[in-house]
Amino acid sequence: MLLGGSISTPPASLRLRSNLYPQNAVTQSSQAAFPSAMQRKPPSYSISDEDLKSRGFLLRRTAEGLNLDQLNSVFVAVGFPRRDTAKIQVALEHTDALLWVEYEKTRRPVAFARATGDGVFNAIIWDVVVDPSFQSCGLGKAVMERLIEDLQAKGICNIALYSEPRVLGFYRPLGFVSDPDGIKGMVFIRKQRNKK
Amino acid sequence: MLLIPISSSSSSSSSSSSSVLPQSFFNSTTSYSSNHHSLFLSNLSYPVPHGSRKLKTLRLRANFWESIRSGFVKNNNSTQLVEPPSIVDDEEEPLLPVEFTLVERTLQDGLIEEIIFSSGGEIDVYDLQGLCDKVGWPRRPLVKLAAALKNSYMVATLHSVMKSSSGSSGDNGEKQQEKKLIGMARATSDHAFNATIWDVLVDPEYQGQGLGKALVEKLVRALLQRDIGNISLFADSQVVDFYQNLGFEADPEGIKGMFWYPK
Repeated sequence: MLLGGSISTPPASLRLRSNLYPQNAVTQSSQAAFPSAMQRKPPSYSISDEDLKSRGFLLRRTAEGLNLDQLNSVFVAVGFPRRDTAKIQVALEHTDALLWVEYEKTRRPVAFARATGDGVFNAIIWDVVVDPSFQSCGLGKAVMERLIEDLQAKGICNIALYSEPRVLGFYRPLGFVSDPDGIKGMVFIRKQRNKK
Repeated sequence: MLLIPISSSSSSSSSSSSSVLPQSFFNSTTSYSSNHHSLFLSNLSYPVPHGSRKLKTLRLRANFWESIRSGFVKNNNSTQLVEPPSIVDDEEEPLLPVEFTLVERTLQDGLIEEIIFSSGGEIDVYDLQGLCDKVGWPRRPLVKLAAALKNSYMVATLHSVMKSSSGSSGDNGEKQQEKKLIGMARATSDHAFNATIWDVLVDPEYQGQGLGKALVEKLVRALLQRDIGNISLFADSQVVDFYQNLGFEADPEGIKGMFWYPK
């Protein structure tokens, strides 16, 4: 995933979530999907929803209210190519789970991540971005922890992603392992020249 | 874990390449074509290229067919390719039909076997489970298997159809045909940018003939023709070479595949 600039490790203090679930928690409702989904204990995040709220960051789990042009600007700010917003719309409609952070003051998205997959076995996380002006204060971690939790709540056990080399250090503390058992991520390269 | 090791026939000297098709060539909206191949009852979740119903033949690069053919020579059997190999100009690659015959061969006892590729996603989940058993994969709940298939952007299958070469009069044609699932590959996608290939498997009895290569190559081509720009997968270490020969690159530009707390 592309993140502009380096992500420093957030402060070590862990705050456990309070017993109050935020309004758009999906943990409980997802269990109806398959009986095999286990009862999940309340997740504990590095930074709680309340903490984020007090700093002016609102967590959103649907694309409702997400301005795609503004999202595109964040993508561009971290080095993605600017993409057709109509295509982004299509992609979001076929996304298993997504999470974004809205900055209350400006009403703009400042962090985002989404996951695609088959809804039962596998999910891949794409487009993990934090606006460069808001990096290094735990927003990327906040988004990732919750997205993973949401996917797990749906019973999805295989969560993967493709990481640029310079942000491997961001994903490792979150629990990601590269090339486990020698499994390699591979991408189809078009217009390959015939090799002799 | 994700992809089955497939023993493949010796690959041709050149790696198969795929062209970048001009985007203006395709209708990339998500509108549903009403004229798709009538053989399917499946729920197509991707747009069917408009040209597919007109296609009766499929032209492929000669070197690719060479690599397939080399695996088919058997004693006393005649193997007949449905389509003669021909060189295709990269810029004019025809739209893949949803279903077509990959290979047709006459077996010793007079039976004709056709291997049919389909990207229509018509698959019996019990057949799939049987196939997964055959390749030694751990069992997964049928309900989840069915859901995974339904939620996949594209499901490609290989079926073997056996029929007798001499038609007996008065018989119901279907009784002479035995259709067996012998391979599958599926891809999930956001329908716009990315697709990921999962669960590539070929019946062990049919391995070593280049069918796995054909399966993946056709699936990739179908995805490219639907304007999906990024096609990725995760390969067990022993099949990395297999996918490299099909045009996949491991860790491109140092980008690493990572898994969350893998078992």
